[in-house]
Amino acid sequence: MLDYLQFVLTPQIVTGLALGVAVILVALGLTIIFGLLDVINMSHGEFYALGAFIALALGQVGLPFWALLFAVPILMLPIGYLVERGLIQRVFHSKDRHITTLLLTFGFALVLEDALRLVFGPNPYKPETPIRGAVEVLGTYLPLYRLFMVAIGGLVIVGTALIVYRTRLGAMVRAAAFDRNMAASLGVPVERVYAGAFAFGVALAGLAGVLLAPIYSVFPTMGRDFILLAFTVIIVGGMGSIGGAVIAGLFLTQVQAISSLYISPVWADPIVFGIMVIMLVVRPQGLRGGLGHA
Amino acid sequence: MLQIRDIHVHYGRSHILQGLSLSAAPGEVIGIFGRNGVGKTTLLKTIAGWLQPTSGTITIDGTAIHHLSSHRIARLGIGFVPEDRRIFPHLTVQENLTLGFLQVPGRSRAQSRMALDEVYAKFPRLKERRSQPGMTLSGGEQQMLAMARVMIGDARLLLIDEPSEGLAPIIVAELYAIIRTMKENGRTVLLVEQNITNALAVSDRFVAIERGQIVHAGTAASESDKQQLMEAIAI
Repeated sequence: MLDYLQFVLTPQIVTGLALGVAVILVALGLTIIFGLLDVINMSHGEFYALGAFIALALGQVGLPFWALLFAVPILMLPIGYLVERGLIQRVFHSKDRHITTLLLTFGFALVLEDALRLVFGPNPYKPETPIRGAVEVLGTYLPLYRLFMVAIGGLVIVGTALIVYRTRLGAMVRAAAFDRNMAASLGVPVERVYAGAFAFGVALAGLAGVLLAPIYSVFPTMGRDFILLAFTVIIVGGMGSIGGAVIAGLFLTQVQAISSLYISPVWADPIVFGIMVIMLVVRPQGLRGGLGHA
Repeated sequence: MLQIRDIHVHYGRSHILQGLSLSAAPGEVIGIFGRNGVGKTTLLKTIAGWLQPTSGTITIDGTAIHHLSSHRIARLGIGFVPEDRRIFPHLTVQENLTLGFLQVPGRSRAQSRMALDEVYAKFPRLKERRSQPGMTLSGGEQQMLAMARVMIGDARLLLIDEPSEGLAPIIVAELYAIIRTMKENGRTVLLVEQNITNALAVSDRFVAIERGQIVHAGTAASESDKQQLMEAIAI
C-alpha cells in the first residue's frame, strides 16, 4: 500500500499539479480578458503555442531557459497590446460584439496557427528539459522540473491575484470590469486598461507555453487541445473569476490525473468535460463571481 | 466656463435632445428641472461623454469636449455623480475613493494623501468604513461616497443627477450642505433634481426642459421666474 502511494499515486498527483498550474496560467489570461472585456478570446491557445515557439527559437539562438521565462512574456506583451488595439477595439463597439469578437479571434487563431506552420513546419519539436532528475521526499521520487513548474506557476498566480486585488491598478481593472462608463468618468483610461489586460493575459499564455514546451512537444496545433481544458476551467470556475479559475484548474487536473489512474486515461477527458456539462446545467454561472463582481 | 451649443442627441431612433444650448459661469449652480424622460439625464451623460451628440458642440473653457472619451473629459475636471450613484460595490470604500485620484494626473503621493485625509475629515463615516466593500454602505452613505469621489478628483464642474432620490430628509440636508460648500469653493454645478424646493435653495439659475429643449430659464432669486417654472413644467 505504501509502495503504491509512494511510486504511483503521489507522482501522479504531482504531475496533475504541474499541469494544473500551467492550465491555470492559460485560464487566468482567458478569464481576465473575458471578465474585463466581455470577449471570448478564441486565439488564446495559439498565443500559448506562440509563446512555446518563441521560446524554442530564442533557445536555439542560445538564450538560457531562465532568461526565456522573462523574455517570452515580455515579448508577448506588445503583441497582445497591438492585437487588442488593432483588431478587437475596432469591432468592440459593434452591435453584435460577442459574435464579432468571437469570429475575429477565431480567424486570428487560424492565421497564427498557419503562420507558425509556415515558419517552423508541421513537425513537433522536443526542447531539452532544463532541469533533470528527481528529488526524494519521504521516500517518493518527484520530478524536479514539475516541482519547479508548480513553484514558478504558483508564484505568478499569487502575484496576479495580488495585483488584481491589492493594487490601485487592480482596482482600476475591477472597476472597469464592473462599470466601464463610471470608471471612465473617474479618469480610468478604460481602452488602455483593456489593451493592457489583454496583453497581460497573452503574456501569461506565453509563459505557460515556455513552461510546458519541455514536457509536451512544440507544434503549430498544440494550442487546440490545451485551450479546451482552459475553457473548461473558466466555465467551471466562473467566467471572469480568478479564484474560480484556480480552484477549477487544480480540481479538474487532479480529476484527470486520478481518473487516468483508476479508470483509464481514455476516460480522463470525457469525465472532465462531463463535469463542465453538469456545471453548465446545475450552476451555469460557475463556482465564483466574475472580475469586478467579487 | 461651460458652453453647450445646439446639441442633438439620439438613442437609436429617439431624438432626445433637440437643439439644446446652455452655458454656465465658474462658481454657478444651475438647477435643471423637467418631467421624467425629457432629457435631463441625457444632457449630463452627454457632457460626461457617455453619449455622443449627433450634432452641436460642448466646450469647457474653450476646449471642445463633445468628441472626447469619458476619461479625458474627467481629467479636464468634470465630475459626474449619476442618478443611481454607480459606486463599485465590490471595491472597498477607499478603493472607490482613490480611483478619483486619476482625475488629477500629476498629483504627488503626498498631495493625494492630503486630498484623501481632507475627504475623510468631511465624511468621517466613510473613514470608519474605508476597508468595507461599497455594497455594505447604506443608500445615504453610498451617495456620500459618490460625492466624495468627485471631490477627491478636484472637479471644477460637477454634474449631479437626482442626489436626494430615495434618501431620508436628514441625509438630504447633509447632501445639500455639501453642494453649498462646493459652490462656495467656486465649483460649477449642474444639478438635476425632482425636489425643486431643495435645488432652488442652492441654485443661482435654473432651466426647465421639455421634449429635449429648454422651455424656460430664470434666476432662483426671482419669485416670478419660479412661478413661471412651476407653470412651465406643470407641477
